[in-house]
Amino acid sequence: MTRIFALTNHKGGVGKSTSATNIALGIVGILRNANAPNPRVLLIDTDSQAHATLVTTGRNDYGTDDSLYTVLMADRQTASQVLANCIVTSKWDENLHVLPASPLLEQAERELQGTAGAPYRLADPLAKIAPHYAAVVIDTRPSFSLMTEMALISSTDAIVPVEPRYLETVGLLSVIGKINEIREGWRIQNLRVSGLLVTKMDKRVRGHRHLLNELRGHPMLGKLLIGVIPMNEAVSYAHRSHRSIFAYDPKASASKAYAQLVGRLVKHLGGVQ
Amino acid sequence: MSKINDTEKLDALLASVTDDMLGDDLPQYFNDNHIKVERILLEMVRPDPVQPRRVLSEQLHHKFHNNRLTPTQALRELVQVAQVSARQQGRPFANVLELLPNAESDQEITDKLSPEENILRDLVNLAITIRDDGQVNPLTVVDISQGVTRLYRIETGERRYWAAWLLRNFISGYESDGMIDCIVIPAERASAFRQAKENTARKGLNAIAMARQAALLLLTVHGCEIPNEAVTNDFYRQALELDLRGKREFTESILSAMGGVTKQRLNQYKKLLLLSDEAWELADRHGLDEGVLHYVVDLPTEVHIEMLQQIIQLGLSGRQVKAILHQTKIPNEEDTKLESPLAKFTRTAIKTIEKQNPVDFAHTIVKQQGDIHMALAYLNRFEDFIKKAREALTNIR
Repeated sequence: MTRIFALTNHKGGVGKSTSATNIALGIVGILRNANAPNPRVLLIDTDSQAHATLVTTGRNDYGTDDSLYTVLMADRQTASQVLANCIVTSKWDENLHVLPASPLLEQAERELQGTAGAPYRLADPLAKIAPHYAAVVIDTRPSFSLMTEMALISSTDAIVPVEPRYLETVGLLSVIGKINEIREGWRIQNLRVSGLLVTKMDKRVRGHRHLLNELRGHPMLGKLLIGVIPMNEAVSYAHRSHRSIFAYDPKASASKAYAQLVGRLVKHLGGVQ
Repeated sequence: MSKINDTEKLDALLASVTDDMLGDDLPQYFNDNHIKVERILLEMVRPDPVQPRRVLSEQLHHKFHNNRLTPTQALRELVQVAQVSARQQGRPFANVLELLPNAESDQEITDKLSPEENILRDLVNLAITIRDDGQVNPLTVVDISQGVTRLYRIETGERRYWAAWLLRNFISGYESDGMIDCIVIPAERASAFRQAKENTARKGLNAIAMARQAALLLLTVHGCEIPNEAVTNDFYRQALELDLRGKREFTESILSAMGGVTKQRLNQYKKLLLLSDEAWELADRHGLDEGVLHYVVDLPTEVHIEMLQQIIQLGLSGRQVKAILHQTKIPNEEDTKLESPLAKFTRTAIKTIEKQNPVDFAHTIVKQQGDIHMALAYLNRFEDFIKKAREALTNIR
């Protein structure tokens, strides 16, 4: 079964898109290095801001007939084929494939609200396409909207990026609770919270160090901590040039942290079926 | 900076960081290269355009593989052709399920069905088996995906593919998830021999399909590139210039893949590639036997189709065809090729016609030909001759 990671947090600016894109590319890189028979990874952008789409494909003008919106609006019988047709190759790597987002996704949410089976509009077609990929990574929007619900229902693993700030760590338990609600409410037995990813960590800030220590010491959250990504200017510059952090500055601390995170995820993926 | 450099940077970084974590081996989950059954979206699977065993008629085959028809449209056309044909025979059907075998008069009806009705009936039968018992055998497909386009070419199991479409769009009350069980084979491990063995292991592979099969194997061992699109008959005819000399190491494999035939038999099948295009299609549609066709191949190309029509219409056996051709001893001269058998028949006709007794005439020609079917065949040709003579007269006038 292909593992599907959803990077989710209802707070914006915590590094969901950055993490989703670099994790997806990182998995491709590791699998290619290891000569895996199938190194392909699918990145699905469910955020109407389409940032992940823009940086990985160089475009953000996908619309009614070539984006996730098209899939959500498609007839149930043809949705899988529509999804397959909408996938494009990332400029970053030929094995990184992208299902682009579109600003129309907000409209889709409104249109689908109250429609029977709406939360499964992504999960159902994706289930038929996902086996062609080694892994799927989903970037979500910064809210627990229908779109995020669709992403989580499609997923096997939720990863929660979080900044080491007091108010954000306070909200962490509610994010995890919300994911569990979706798991229980929709009976998505495969879905689980697989990790917390601390982003924008500045070791020079005492508050950050303090909160990270608190997280590590927490009986539940401590076990979920899978990585700490340092605050790094290279990340913003990489975005600006539409490149991955690995390509922009492989020596940057954030690059190494993401590489370690990806290595851990791949090891984790292989061990747990 | 170029993408190649980016990829190199990524690889270098990940290699250094993950070596310690993963060691030398990637987790088994990603390295699993074993052959396994996968459920694949039906739309991502395509039949092999050069598959010797044709499920659709030649015309539909080409339309479909040239992307002028979707699978559903191709089946719809097949159903329509079968409906027209069935209506002409006075047994119209509205629903494909009506073609299913009738326990009481099964054999009798099978003999009368047109080729299109037979194809459709076989597919419906298979579809119903899949509906009732599930898909017991997965298809074998070759992964020919390129970039983001996932595509699998059927190596074996094309009938199951068409039955799945039939089930999905033409048989009501069946809820399909649109997936089909497949064994996926990497492109570099695709094998014309495996396909041939699967084809010849079953009954019912007609002589034309065997000829195509022989051609495909010969072309493969001679290193010809097998295209991924529909081909004309001339593609297979390239094999007429090829043989197993210089490729002796493949002789056994080819003969075995052809169902354990002898070299002589292989050459007999290969010789069928000499049939004209129209004769080729007609023989394929009607599943004519090599024993009948190899006599036709020896005739001038322009009479292939006429001879085949007689064979089909009168149900002539190989022995009967041989008898017709040997009795008539067609000379080589172009101008007398067609006239000789007819001339002999005409002489008999003229002799008996003086008595002005049609019954005598019928008895005489049956006696002369030794078989009522052959007598009828000559009579038809005679009629045709008279008709053409009448047209010629009209033109002169």
